[in-house]
Amino acid sequence: MNTPLEQLTSAIKAGKRKDAKSATQAALDAAIPPAQILAALGEGMADVGRRFKANEVFVPEVLVAARAMQNSMDLLEPVLIEAGIQPAHTFLICTVEGDLHDIGKNLVAMMIKGANFKVVDLGTNVAPDVLIEAVEAHRADIIGLSALLTTTMPAMREAVARIRERGLKVKIMVGGAPITEGFAHEIGADGYAPDAGSAVELALRLVEAA
Amino acid sequence: MKSKERVRAVIDHRETDRLPIDFGSSFITGIHCSVVEGLRRHFGLEPRPVRVCEPYQMLGEVEPDLLDALGLDVQPIFPQRTIFGFPNENWKPWTTPWGQHVVVSEHFHTYTSVEGDTYIHPKGDRSAPPSGHMPKTGYFFDTIERMDADFDEDDLKVADNLEEFGLMSDGEAAYWRSQAELYRDCDRAISVHLNGTCLGDIALVPAPFLTHPKGVRGVAQWYMTVASEPEFVMELFDRQTEIALENMARLHAIAGDVIDVVVVCGTDFGTQASLFCGVPSVREIWLPRYKRINDWIHRNTAWRTFKHSCGAIEPLIEAFIDSGFDILNPVQCSAAGMDPKELKAKYGDRITFWGGGVNTQETLPFGTPGQVRAEVLERCEIFAPGGGFVFNAIHNVQALTPIENVVAMIEAVDEFNGGR
Ligand code: B1M
Repeated sequence: MNTPLEQLTSAIKAGKRKDAKSATQAALDAAIPPAQILAALGEGMADVGRRFKANEVFVPEVLVAARAMQNSMDLLEPVLIEAGIQPAHTFLICTVEGDLHDIGKNLVAMMIKGANFKVVDLGTNVAPDVLIEAVEAHRADIIGLSALLTTTMPAMREAVARIRERGLKVKIMVGGAPITEGFAHEIGADGYAPDAGSAVELALRLVEAA
Repeated sequence: MKSKERVRAVIDHRETDRLPIDFGSSFITGIHCSVVEGLRRHFGLEPRPVRVCEPYQMLGEVEPDLLDALGLDVQPIFPQRTIFGFPNENWKPWTTPWGQHVVVSEHFHTYTSVEGDTYIHPKGDRSAPPSGHMPKTGYFFDTIERMDADFDEDDLKVADNLEEFGLMSDGEAAYWRSQAELYRDCDRAISVHLNGTCLGDIALVPAPFLTHPKGVRGVAQWYMTVASEPEFVMELFDRQTEIALENMARLHAIAGDVIDVVVVCGTDFGTQASLFCGVPSVREIWLPRYKRINDWIHRNTAWRTFKHSCGAIEPLIEAFIDSGFDILNPVQCSAAGMDPKELKAKYGDRITFWGGGVNTQETLPFGTPGQVRAEVLERCEIFAPGGGFVFNAIHNVQALTPIENVVAMIEAVDEFNGGR
């Protein structure tokens, strides 16, 4: 018989939301420390991220895994708060102004959340003013910008310029289909990630370096 | 050789007097209305506002004078209704957020929010919540996900997601009769979008043409349904296919002899780096339905069938061939694993590439005319031999593409065709 934590990890890997929920409840009922439950969740998501990067699973599988994670988090979050366990870092994410593609942005957000960041998702088509306000309000450590269109690459450049102008001490990472390492460097971002798995690694590196 | 014969010949893998070119024959091989205006100006055509033939992506109609100026080989017959569910009729002026004066259907009803974003109503029905949204700095609409409050993901109903698929109405039949009349003697190849054969196209899942959609209508929700409820998806596709087969028979009876190419499905299976769905899932969920559609067409008509999928879909091309597709578009060579030489060598004698002519993520919008020319010539050298290639960019030519680059692209195809 598997332990509730093993069950939780495998429910996340398989994207089974009901199993994730019952395993989380069982773990809580067994008085397993919430930090351990969180770690089991993270392990499941990290595995999904690895298999996604290796083209073994695809967008639908990542989405169901993230949904299962959310179902588990709904039960776990109040307990974590009570225990005073909080994510150490805040990650703000959005798709830039003029762009409404959000599948990639959402995947990145889910994986980052799976790595135990507090994620604030500002949605799509986000203007620089809104962004700046949110960085200040949430005291974000990292801001992630996504763009999928060549017509919105200028908006990404503009967003980075405005954040820098404002002198905010926040790391900026960028990604999306037409974005390259070179473009990221050119517009003054702190990093570029080609996929959601790499985005997690980059985010962890950026907060460590800070 | 007439355009019609030329297009049919290359699809059947025969080399022709020159390479056929398409711009504007479908909603995935078109040109943004701002670029159509620039081209009309460049060629000194009658200055008149561009017609927005496809309001979602804001594509401009490539009217006969521009078809001639560009030397294009394919003429569309558009569906009676646009993606927002209204017919394109009684054109009226509209000014776009970027200040272009265009003409749109009289049923194109929008409002602007305080933030300056534009919202459009389905079916031209102002009382229905908007189904499309254009950011103030955007150049296209995107669909709005309108979720049904009663939706229960543990109780999915196929009928909810079938609402948009019905049999051809009398009005639609009359429309097709008049269009067939209009284009029966056209020298250009005729391309049409089939109604109801798109299986799970993510642009259509939110049903921007319906006033109050029910069922699975969210983008992420749809992908999750594919992963967790494949039986539901297969049943939906089966029902959809049955309706589509009936409609194809009706269309064939009315306009079968006029049509050359049918766009069957625009579902995107690729992302920039990978697939949306694994090969086994596509083979199980999509292939048998595609095959039914393609087999019917090949048994009963002289049409050639067209499959669109963006992205890095090399691992799926074999499945598309097994599904019976004749044509693949847009051949996104800028995505992972989509090397033109390898594609041509591996699949070039079994499927026609309609697209792939120039990179629309880099070269066409950001390159110099010289770079555009070089890339277009190279792609033509790779894809043209032995037929099986219709020149088109990769997907629609987007807003903000320099006109001199579009002209350089067309001139390069002419140069390639020179001497032939
Ligand atoms: C913060 O740090 C980071 C780090 C990493 C980051 C990151 C941020 N953001 C992303 N990443 C990275 O991690 C993610 C996960 O690994 C990855 O994210 P991706 O987003 O790349 O990957 C996702 C998981 C899956 N990939 C996707 O979701 C994009 C796939 C493709 C097929 C695509 C889709 C699905 C859609 N589209 Co659109 N669409 C295409 C795409 C083709 C392609 N080659 O990418 C592209 C991007 N679309 C394009 C276009 C033009 C358009 N689309 C449009 C609409 C749509 C749909 C609605 C149909 C749908 C989007 C649904 C939605 N809600 O997002 C229209 C515009 C809408 C708008 N106003 O924004 C429209 C204008 C319509 C048109 N085709 O003419 C093209 C852009 C061309 C260009 N010149 O830029 C396009 C490349 C297709 C093509 N072959 O031409 C990485 O990039």
